Amino acid sequence: MVFAENLISNLFYGALLGSIYGVATMGLSLIFGVLRIVNVGHGAFIMIGAFTAFWMFTLYSLPPVAVIPIALVFGLAIGFIAFQAVIRRLVDAPELSTLLATFGIGIFIEELAKLVWGADYVGFSWDIGTLYLGPITVSYSKILAFFCSVLVAALLYLWFTKTKLGNAIRAVVQDREGAVVCGINVNRIFALSFSIGIGLTVLSGVLVTLFVPVGINVYMGGDYTLKAFVISVLGGLDSPWGAFIAGFLFGLFENGSYAILGLIPGVEPFALTRFVAFAFLLIILLVKPTGLLGGGE
Amino acid sequence: MKIRSYKPLLPLFLIYALLILIAVAVPGMWQPVAFFMFYVALGQAFNIFMGLTGYVDFGYVAFLGLGAYGMAIAIKYFSSLGLISILLGILLAVVMSILLSLAVGAVALRLRGAYFAIATIGVNEGFRYLIEGVRLWGGSEGIVLSGLMRRTFGRETANLLSTFFSDILIIAIAILAAMTTIWILNRKMGYALLALREDEDAARVMGINVTKYKIMAFITSASFAGLIGAVAWTLKLTYVFPEDVFNIHYTVEAIVIVMLGGAGTLLGPVVGGLIYGVLKYYLSVVFPGIQLLILAPMLILTIIAFPEGIVGFIKKKGKKSRISYYLR
Amino acid sequence: MPLLELHRVTKRFGGIVAVDNVSLEIDEGDAIGIVGPNGSGKTTLYNLISGVYFPDNGRIIFDGKDITFLPAHERTPLGLARTFQIPRPFGSASVRENVAIGAMFGRAKLDVESALDIADHYLSIVGIEKLAEKEAKLLTPLEKRFMELARALAMKPKLLLLDEVMAGMNPADVDRIIEVIRRVKDEERIAVVSMVEHLMHAITRFAERVVVMHQGKKLVEGKTLDVLNDPRVVEIYLGKRVV
Ligand SMILES: Nc1ncnc2c1ncn2[C@@H]1O[C@H](COP(=O)(O)OP(=O)(O)OP(=O)(O)O)[C@@H](O)[C@H]1O
Ligand SMILES: [Mg+2]
Repeated sequence: MVFAENLISNLFYGALLGSIYGVATMGLSLIFGVLRIVNVGHGAFIMIGAFTAFWMFTLYSLPPVAVIPIALVFGLAIGFIAFQAVIRRLVDAPELSTLLATFGIGIFIEELAKLVWGADYVGFSWDIGTLYLGPITVSYSKILAFFCSVLVAALLYLWFTKTKLGNAIRAVVQDREGAVVCGINVNRIFALSFSIGIGLTVLSGVLVTLFVPVGINVYMGGDYTLKAFVISVLGGLDSPWGAFIAGFLFGLFENGSYAILGLIPGVEPFALTRFVAFAFLLIILLVKPTGLLGGGE
Repeated sequence: MKIRSYKPLLPLFLIYALLILIAVAVPGMWQPVAFFMFYVALGQAFNIFMGLTGYVDFGYVAFLGLGAYGMAIAIKYFSSLGLISILLGILLAVVMSILLSLAVGAVALRLRGAYFAIATIGVNEGFRYLIEGVRLWGGSEGIVLSGLMRRTFGRETANLLSTFFSDILIIAIAILAAMTTIWILNRKMGYALLALREDEDAARVMGINVTKYKIMAFITSASFAGLIGAVAWTLKLTYVFPEDVFNIHYTVEAIVIVMLGGAGTLLGPVVGGLIYGVLKYYLSVVFPGIQLLILAPMLILTIIAFPEGIVGFIKKKGKKSRISYYLR
Repeated sequence: MPLLELHRVTKRFGGIVAVDNVSLEIDEGDAIGIVGPNGSGKTTLYNLISGVYFPDNGRIIFDGKDITFLPAHERTPLGLARTFQIPRPFGSASVRENVAIGAMFGRAKLDVESALDIADHYLSIVGIEKLAEKEAKLLTPLEKRFMELARALAMKPKLLLLDEVMAGMNPADVDRIIEVIRRVKDEERIAVVSMVEHLMHAITRFAERVVVMHQGKKLVEGKTLDVLNDPRVVEIYLGKRVV
């Protein structure tokens, strides 16, 4: 009985958190889809978003919800700078170069952040009440985080499907050469997509703090990078929508298995959950490297 | 086999000899040189896989970690054998790394580029969390050996093991890695790897069994990593914590060294390792804590400005001159 | 016994049937030209023979051995060699090393030293011996094609598949290539299959037999001149007489 209640509340929690995982992975998938670049430094941008929320709250008492658009703009700017300074020069370089370069960018951002903000864990408390629903106890800020995530994903979807620019990006994902023939300025699309990808990722960092407002640290991103890899592979690697849905599934899976693994005596369920996640990643890669939700061959 | 094809070892051994001379002759230089040699060895080991195949293994540190555990287990559980437990540890480190590399190779080496890189991160992290999750080998508390080593080997010997023999072994590993690299480069395997690094599909059509050669390079590189882990961690530091030995940080260092010196070249990792080691050693004195802040832009700059690395660059410039005999 | 036998081979990509139920026999020392409009399945046919793809249906027999599902690297040593429509040099290796790699892993199976030695011989056969030391990625597209031909020859194949080697070459270069093809065919009994899309006049000069591909199917096969004057062939080439 306790277990059932535990599982239910964990799954509920997982679904909420999963939506944030989804948004936190969309940027990675967008960048891979358009530029064929895996942003190995992904998590560093989530960290930037988290710190943005923290400082805006601490310095100006701005609630995280209000920081979302600020983080987006901030992220777009960082993304644009990173593209102009580094990525632009590597668009046609071998995969090795882009993997290592994004890796380097991530480390650079983390170390810079450490220099400015220090290596301590920080957090804040934005209390807007708690929901009690049977076995489920969850703060409203987490529910708000969920709705914000869904809204962000929905707006992005509309932008992609209804605007000319959004369609141009999708065309480049589908067929880069074809898009060039159709007169699409691919370099502009690259710059735009990279900026949007990073913008989304920084924004997702705010959502993360809305959900878990503590444990903010310059090295918090590594964990999210790894999760984002698992999720994006699950979602097909080049599809932001696949990533969003996969994020949900991952949230459910992660929190559900935590409840289950906790039943095994003598293990550390937290570490083991992660082990299961990575084992899962390898299995997907082996069985269907294009992702469970991705297309055919 | 013509002697000429082994000439490139000359400058390399010259560098090694010079370093050893400095270590012995200049007071206080033994430890710094040992520190440099660790990076030289790490670069050589990593280069055998990443440099020669063009695949990035972000989870490379898993092999170092496993080697460290191999040595720790041998000392902990076979201390009754006395110093033989060290030999056993070296053996165990290599065997365990080979086993893991076979498993990872079978899974991940079917994948290419980005997918491979992601899979290797998964392996490393998964492995670490498995150790912590099921409390294997001491779980997150790791294995601490200093007391045990003093009791079994005696204070003097234990001290000598960690401050002298481990360094000698690292130098030996660096020499062995260099000889292995040139041996590979001079054989069909070297040409097969060169081909598959450039164009894997074309290589297959050329009759090259790409999977076989990739796995061979992977296993070789992993065994060296296991050796380095056993010697430079367990033997030198006398403890193993999963958080430390599976830290992706060491993979970054290996990548920077290989790229800086020149991926796929013989001399590159030596030059890269030396520059990196020296910079890190003295930077950490001058600017403690910000080495990575300096290293990251260095890596990015290298990739953009001269992706072939220092040795690759010189090799290209010196193509027509006599130098080229000594560079690979 | 024919050297290569394709038996009702089919390859689909999604909805497209790139190669549709094609049967073909090639004997030792044959010189065959394959023609057909863009997208008619010529390159795919080569990919099936060399093992880049496996067919959905049909069998491929080479030298008496069923190679239908043999991995590419295992069929090459049996005596297959090909060039690529878009050249694929091993860019950071020198031209000599590129050719030597062919000699090491193809049917020739030479050791490293002999392969590097013999590479120069093949470079001079195709007339680019001066480029031996050059990094392959620095070659012009045309030079890359010569290098690919040398690399394929160094493999000592029994069957040589050339994918548009002559496209974009001037008449003197075309002459040189045809000369090389004739020579290896006569001296080493290598069967040469060459696809020539635009240079129809070239095909009459070396091909004894011509196969015409159209929408994945083998439309016609026969003696060169007969085929090129076949009304169906004339029709798919925009109603113009080709020769
Ligand atoms: N890997 C692939 N995936 C999907 N479709 C493919 C693939 N390879 C070939 N095709 C399709 O199969 C058909 C035949 O292509 P193929 O390249 O064999 O033609 P081709 O005769 O060589 O043409 P060309 O003269 O343009 O070289 C085309 O419609 C092509 O788009
Ligand atoms: Mg073609």
